Formats: sequence, structure tokens, C-alpha cells
Amino acid sequence: MPIFEYQDVKIDVDEDGFMQEPEKWDETIAKALATTEGVDELTDEHWKVVNYLREYYLKFGIAPMIRKLCKETGFPLKRIYELFPSGPAKGACKVAGLAKPTGCV
Amino acid sequence: MKNKKTSIKDFSNKEGQLVELDNSGFLPLPPPYDKQELEPKIGSLTEDARKKYECDLDGVVAVKFPRPETEEEKRILVEKFLSGLKKLFEKENNWGFMQPLFLTMEYCAKCQTCASACPIYNETGEMDIYRPTFRSDILRRLYKTYVKKGGKFFAKVSGNDIEASWTMIARLMELCYRCTICRRCAQTCPVGVDNGLVTREIRKIFSQEMGINVEPLHKKGSVQQLKAGSSTGMIPAAFLDNIEFLEEEVEERTGMNFKWPMDKAGADILLIHNAGEYLAWPENPEAFAIILEAAGISYTLSSELVGYDSVNYGVWYDDVQFARVAIKHAQAARKLGVKKIVLGECGHAHKALTVIADRVFTGEFNIPRESSLTLLDDIIKNGRLKLDPSRNDDIITTLHDPCNVVRLMGIVQPQRNVLKAVSNNFREMTPHGVENYCCGGGSGFAITQDLNFPDWRHTVSGRAKLRQILDVFQDVIGPEQKKYVCAPCSNCKGAMRDMFAAYGLFERCNILYGGLVELVVNAMPEIEKPFLEWEWH
Repeated sequence: MPIFEYQDVKIDVDEDGFMQEPEKWDETIAKALATTEGVDELTDEHWKVVNYLREYYLKFGIAPMIRKLCKETGFPLKRIYELFPSGPAKGACKVAGLAKPTGCV
Repeated sequence: MKNKKTSIKDFSNKEGQLVELDNSGFLPLPPPYDKQELEPKIGSLTEDARKKYECDLDGVVAVKFPRPETEEEKRILVEKFLSGLKKLFEKENNWGFMQPLFLTMEYCAKCQTCASACPIYNETGEMDIYRPTFRSDILRRLYKTYVKKGGKFFAKVSGNDIEASWTMIARLMELCYRCTICRRCAQTCPVGVDNGLVTREIRKIFSQEMGINVEPLHKKGSVQQLKAGSSTGMIPAAFLDNIEFLEEEVEERTGMNFKWPMDKAGADILLIHNAGEYLAWPENPEAFAIILEAAGISYTLSSELVGYDSVNYGVWYDDVQFARVAIKHAQAARKLGVKKIVLGECGHAHKALTVIADRVFTGEFNIPRESSLTLLDDIIKNGRLKLDPSRNDDIITTLHDPCNVVRLMGIVQPQRNVLKAVSNNFREMTPHGVENYCCGGGSGFAITQDLNFPDWRHTVSGRAKLRQILDVFQDVIGPEQKKYVCAPCSNCKGAMRDMFAAYGLFERCNILYGGLVELVVNAMPEIEKPFLEWEWH
């Protein structure tokens, strides 16, 4: 299993860099994972997306629908792509410590 | 193309990677992809991945099986494989599929008619390892050598023997994930041999006897579906929350304010969608809800565990997982007392629940099942929807036929009737109907996303479909004309989304993919705003 290391952070990830143990996620890990997405600094807007994803994930165990993410954060999809260049699923969810999406999605 | 010709002897014995894949030997694509630099390449595995996983077939990895380290481990794996092989030919262990498999083993005349029907074999410039009979011949030799009485002797005398080495079995493990089970080969065979079934039965040996399968299909697929309620991980509470959100969204988009029927006992129909639709293409279940509401159909959704996700990945690799999920679907329907189950736009769910489940369901579990395509055709034929096809006039449409709906079940005309009722600019691909080509994502490939497998899907298994799409729109291929590939199947949509993105088809040619019901709602004059959002997603 690949290991991701950045400064003091050392976590198990899958081949696409998603956390294997999402329960170990914290803000330091989010900042570290963000560097793999080309995001050097997490702004308030980034945190708004990450915190919503995290909150939804803790409640329902999966990522929300992308449309729901846009609606709840008030950001159009285009803005989310600007914040997280690989997009809501591959980028934002990874930073928020969610597992990779599964099923026919 | 290196190593285009491969003998079964090499397949069994040759050390290292058997063949190298190189796009330049594949059949050239139509413009604008006649320029090779526009075509995605099949990425090489990293040195680490090569060392770690079995990849000695073609350098591509679907199964991600770690290489065994010792001879003893290999010996145990071979033994298990042979034990599973024998079970395929025992009534008690394979009552569902033994007969067609047995006939396939005994009656192939090696005429190779099927080879010319196989898109993967043809598109790769006829690589032997992808020929439908190549895979089947390996299983046939194994069957003759290890299963039939006196097999080792007779097989050797007739030159049909094979040695079950781990090298060979490891290659076979990957090779059974290089066929989409589209079953064009089975359709064309003059004596009824089913080489697609062979692919599936080989996967079964690996899964049921050895616990070897593809993670997105098994661990993250059927196992998760049985535990959480959906292969997407969507638990019932999340499903209900999503429906609430979609109800609001429908109101915003259409002005229609209504509740989606949920767990309504005594409704005529239980409608089950592939749950991936809710997350990836929510406009599809939305369009269904709008149509059924407008047409006044008595139906319900279910929030029962598994009752809201029609997928049944076991149909691709494992009878036990298949039966577990199928029974959950029947139970959800029985609990609500509906007259029948209707399946949304999902091809493999059609195969699983309407066709193969016949071998599992008995008595009161054998509840009638129907395709949504025939239901939609009925609704429109009976004049229950007001439609104005001119609302879709800015789009040229074509129809992709999902293999499981069309070739397997013979549902060909209903979806065409529907599409023609809502589109004045519909054109057929060549060939189509029961002779269609697979989207490239069949048999679980659309969701097998690890390492370099997606590259293989985009350049090899999806190639025939891409060719057809480019051909049908060739006279209007530029980005100024909107073009829509109507693909009434979640897996086909997933495969097209990824393949279109890999080739930049939306940006370069303005070709979008999507379902059928979205076009129907877009043609409903009562809805003011266009329902179809012409955006890449």
C-alpha cells in the first residue's frame, strides 16, 4: 500500500492518493493532501468546500451529489474546479479525506 | 504490432510479458482522430506495479493480483484453480450454466466466424490473445485434460493437452478481463457456442473458488451493496436525503412540485434505478419522475436496503453474489406488493434481474420484471405525454444500443419509437440494433478504474464504438453543431464519459452523451426551460 508523506504527515493512501483510513483525517492532513492537488494554501473558500464534504461524509458515509455540494456551498461547479483543479470528486474529496467514489458513478 | 501471433504453448510457458500493446498497430480511427497524436496512449505500469502485480499477459492490469512469492504458493493457487474448474462441470455446483458451457466445450468447430464479430480482436489488428476462441480454447484444453475421464491421455494423443502452470493461470486471470461479454461472438456462431459465457465462467472460478476478483466489482461493489444498500456506499438515509434534494431541484428546473412516491405499498410498479444515476447523472431519475408523474403511472421507489440500487455486479463474475443481490431485489418488491419491477436505464441490471434471475427465482419470488424502455414506449404510444420534438431540433441525435438490452433481450424498437417521437434529427449508427458494438465498458469495465486499465478501455474495448460515433457524425463533426449520443444505460454512459474525456470529444467535436428520458423531458412543451443542460459532466 502506498504511503503519503509530507512534513510530519504520514498516511496510507490508495494508488490515486485517496486516504485509506478517512477517520484519521485532520486539518494538518488536509493541508498536506492539498499540496498533491496543486493547492499550496487552503483559503476560506477551500475550507467551505472541504468542511461541507466532511460534514456530509460523517453523516452519510459517502460524498454528496456534486449538485448538492454546489448548492450548499453556493459555488458554481466552475468555481469548484478553480479551487480544486482535478474537480470535486478527485480533488476536493481527496483533500477532505474521503474514500474514492465506488459503484457506477 | 509486436507478438501479434501467439500460440497456446507460449501462453503457457513463455516467461515475462507475452505481448506488447502499441496503438500504431490498431485500426486507424476516422477524423479528427486519424492523427495519431490526438489518441490517448496505453500507459506503462510503474516498475513497482510491474513487480508487485501479475501483468505478464499484455502489461495491463485489471485484477491487481499480487505475484505469489514462493513455489508453494503457486502450487496451492494452481490446485484451487483446478478444483474450481471441475466444479464448473458438476450439476450440483453449476446448475445454472453447466449445460451451455458443456455444449460450448464440446461443439466448437473452430470455424472462426466469431473472430470477425469481435470488436476487440478486430480493432487491435487481430491480436491472437484477444480472439474469442483463444480464451475458450485454453479452457477447453484444461477441461479435456483435467476434467474429462482419461483426459490426460486422450488430450495428449489428440494434441489438446495443456499444463496448468501458474504462469498460464495468471495470464488467464487477466485474459478473462479483456472481453466485455458483449456476446457478438455468441450471436454469430453457427452452432450456438457462447464464448462470452466462457469469459464469465472463467471469472467465476477465480472469484468463487480462489477469492480473486476485481475490487470495484466485488469488495467495493457487490459486498458493499449488500452491506450499505448500494455499491455507491449510499445508505438508505442518504438515498432519502438525495430524493428530497432532487424533488426541490425538479421544482426549480420545471416548476413542477410533487413528491416522488416512496415505499408506497400497493403501487403497480417498483421502479429501480442504478444508484449511480442519483450521484453521477441525477437528471436521469429526475426525468423519469417527471414523465411518470405526468403520465399518471402508479409506481413507487423503495428505500429498502438494495431496493434502490438495481446493480448486480455478480452477473459479471460470481453466482453467489449474484443470487444474494437478486433475492434482495425480489424481497423489496414483495414487501411493497407491487405487480412488477421496472428497471431504469441500466443494461446489466436488465440482464441480471429480467433474464438470469429466472434461474434463481422460484414461486412467489418470480415477480414479473420489465424494461423501462417498453414502458416508455407504451406511455408515448397511448398518448399519455404531450411532446413537441421540435424542442430538440438544435441537436442531432444517435442511439447507442446497450448489449444487454438489445442483443440479449431483443428490445430494439421501443427505444427507437421513443427517440423518434422526441427528435426530428435522429440517425442510426452502423451497425445497430442486435448487431451493435459495446460501449467498451461492458462486464464491469466502466468501473474498473485502477492503474492503466482505463487506457486499455479507451483505446481498445471502446474503439469500435468511438469509430461508429465519429462515423455517424462525420459530416457535422465540427464543434458548431450539437450532437447527442443517447445511451440508455449507466455503464455505457460511464464508459462514454471517460472515453470522450480521454479524446476531448466534447471540446473538439461538441458530442455529448446522455440518457433517453432526458431528451423526452426536453421535448415536453409544458416545461418552459430546456431540461437538457448542454454541459460536460
